[in-house]
Amino acid sequence: MAQLNVQHVDKIYDNKVQAVFDFNLDVKDGELIVLVGPSGCGKSTTLRMIAGLEDISAGHLLLDGKDITQTPAKDRDMAMVFQNYALYGHMTIYENMAFSLTLRKENPNVIHKKVLAAAEILGLTSQLNKKPSQLSGGQRQRVAMGRSIVRNPKVFLFDEPLSNLDAKLRGATRREILLLHKRLQATMLYVTHDQTEALTLADRIVCMSMGHVQQVGTPLELYDAPANRFVASFIGLPPMNFFDVTVREGLLEGRGFKVKLTEEEKGILLPYAGKTIELGVRPEDVQEGTEATLNVFSNENLGMNTLIHGHVGDNNRISAKLRGWFDYEVGDNVNVAFTRKHFFDKETGVAIRKGEKA
Amino acid sequence: MNDEKYIRLDRMRYTKNTTASGLALLSILFDVFFFISIYESNVGSWYYNILIGASILYNLIFLLAAFLSSEGIKNYKIAYSYLMIALGIGQIIRIFIYPVTAHNSTVIIQEKAVTVMENPQFIRCVLYLLLSAACLIVGAVIGMTRSKALKDHLASLKAAA
Repeated sequence: MAQLNVQHVDKIYDNKVQAVFDFNLDVKDGELIVLVGPSGCGKSTTLRMIAGLEDISAGHLLLDGKDITQTPAKDRDMAMVFQNYALYGHMTIYENMAFSLTLRKENPNVIHKKVLAAAEILGLTSQLNKKPSQLSGGQRQRVAMGRSIVRNPKVFLFDEPLSNLDAKLRGATRREILLLHKRLQATMLYVTHDQTEALTLADRIVCMSMGHVQQVGTPLELYDAPANRFVASFIGLPPMNFFDVTVREGLLEGRGFKVKLTEEEKGILLPYAGKTIELGVRPEDVQEGTEATLNVFSNENLGMNTLIHGHVGDNNRISAKLRGWFDYEVGDNVNVAFTRKHFFDKETGVAIRKGEKA
Repeated sequence: MNDEKYIRLDRMRYTKNTTASGLALLSILFDVFFFISIYESNVGSWYYNILIGASILYNLIFLLAAFLSSEGIKNYKIAYSYLMIALGIGQIIRIFIYPVTAHNSTVIIQEKAVTVMENPQFIRCVLYLLLSAACLIVGAVIGMTRSKALKDHLASLKAAA
């Protein structure tokens, strides 16, 4: 059982560069939290502070209510899985997995039981006598996870564990991590820059940018109701389309196109009448309709969907993910409609929602 | 079979026989000490004969064979246990070649009878060879016992599967 509370944590390096600003997070027992964001956003730094590999400049870290801010990494009862596996090349898989327990001078018979149990969970039983160099990348990453499992830590920390794997293996290993989480019911923190990993793995996602937490929520919340323009643009592939539009009577007027508003949308945008806001539309929410004309400049068939890139109105770039197989030529015009819209304040980038004032 | 014993046997599937292997390496160390000690003499040309050439050659073979044994026995290969026993017996036989013959021989230097190998040197050389032999034989016995136990364990696992 492990609850982790990160309270007002900052990271300021010796050269006065601040990497993390006022990070707050309450992780429930057995929860899988994914920290996602672009490179340099502070997600790995945050994870390393939680692991004890980086000093915390300000704030507190509590594990099961106990302040561990100043506790050395080895005494934190956390296990970290790194991107580069960090396995010992001269040791067998068995020895690698047993290593941390051997260092703690645990009974060899107990170590044996734990290693075999972890190998069974990870499907590594037949590989135990091999060296890491004889295994594939996915298997090596499983060994790295096995090394964490045998320690039975309170919290598992994963720092971009799938980044070194090819796309197919990444998918398979991701599913294994998910199964592992379900099986162990352990508290896990997972860092990635890959939004697909974040959406598929997380119970909750922490989206970060420039050292600041942008939004914390379930994958659906981040996808469906992004808190701001950054989250909206980061979550979702292909990324969301954005247009500058002016709120008019019952419609939005963009450069060379107009979009009708529903009654609910009119209510939301009432405080913004006459003002310019940003309209966000996901490519999958652009479907065949009559709201705007899309001038095609590229057509990519993905099997079940067709991804079209083009322009609407006066040179507003747009991507559309149409359901079905289409073979549009460059220069074709396609009538489309926006089936779901997101609105953002032009100045602050914050999402405009029901009941919010301009 | 109780649980503890079963786990101890099962562990051997994934761990090396480092005790036996370590003893084989230790025997090499004692052999090196012996070979260094034997030349601490000022007895003219007493050593200059075919026997010293054979001894040097045997020593090279011993070093190689003992090292190979340490690697083989580490992986529970029973044949290397037999080789280690043979090498151990060889070390005991060697006591009666150089240390004993040198200890019992005298040479005339400046009209004085000088013992080729004095007592302290003789005791050290014998001790090194005995220790080397003991390491090899004990290592071989450990290796043999564990290799057989592992073989039986693997057979029982195979039968149970």
